[in-house]
Amino acid sequence: MSPVTSIHGVINPDGQISLYPNFTRKTAEQQPISAAELKQLTPSAPEVTPADGSFANVLGRLVQDVSTKQSVANEAVSGLLSGQNVSLHQAMIATQEASLSFQLMVEVRNKLLDSYQELMRMQI
Amino acid sequence: MINFLPGINATTAALNAERIRMDVIAQNIANAETTHGIDGKPYERQQVVFETILNEAQQPQSVRVASIEKDPRPPQGVYYPGHPDADKNGMVMMPNVNVHEEMADLITSSRTFEANLAVIKNARAMALQTLSIGRTG
Repeated sequence: MSPVTSIHGVINPDGQISLYPNFTRKTAEQQPISAAELKQLTPSAPEVTPADGSFANVLGRLVQDVSTKQSVANEAVSGLLSGQNVSLHQAMIATQEASLSFQLMVEVRNKLLDSYQELMRMQI
Repeated sequence: MINFLPGINATTAALNAERIRMDVIAQNIANAETTHGIDGKPYERQQVVFETILNEAQQPQSVRVASIEKDPRPPQGVYYPGHPDADKNGMVMMPNVNVHEEMADLITSSRTFEANLAVIKNARAMALQTLSIGRTG
């Protein structure tokens, strides 16, 4: 079985196999492409709006979360060491949560940097 | 807030409960020979009672110590003339604490604690392994 199953050739009415069934060729007999049609054909960049779910905001929230978890861990450990009512396992769990969330942040950052470097290495 | 360690609330509650249970067992062992409490009677064995905490959806979620109850068994009389708390027949009322029983309870408690720690360790290992998905090479 082919690993790529979603690419099919489609046979056109004139007997030719087209890989892109939705793309109809403009032949020489047809009218030249008008300016309005050209504008429709050129891909327009998706409008970037700094919505709530934008990646920058998500990343910001992640960093905020990591910071909160670290301050929680800090409080737990200092509470334990200063003899407040914090048990050992609570402090350890808090530090582990902080460590895990920090590692997640580092992984996301590594991935971002990797993709940036991949783009910069691209041959033009 | 991201939740990295699944089931961490229940496990933390269980660890807290086991700690209280260990406190109570330690108290029992420490007072195994106490013949004269605050009320003048021998010490009475304490035991913890656990109960389930429900979450918002009224489903069982975690555990807490509902109460610490006294063991109703009577104190044991021991012949010990000369003891300040001995009665006229030389009998001293010793607490209803059996140290062997307490040691068995202590083992149960520490094993339960260990089991809950294993849950946390496992959850942490799972999270770390999942994070390693993103690593190349």
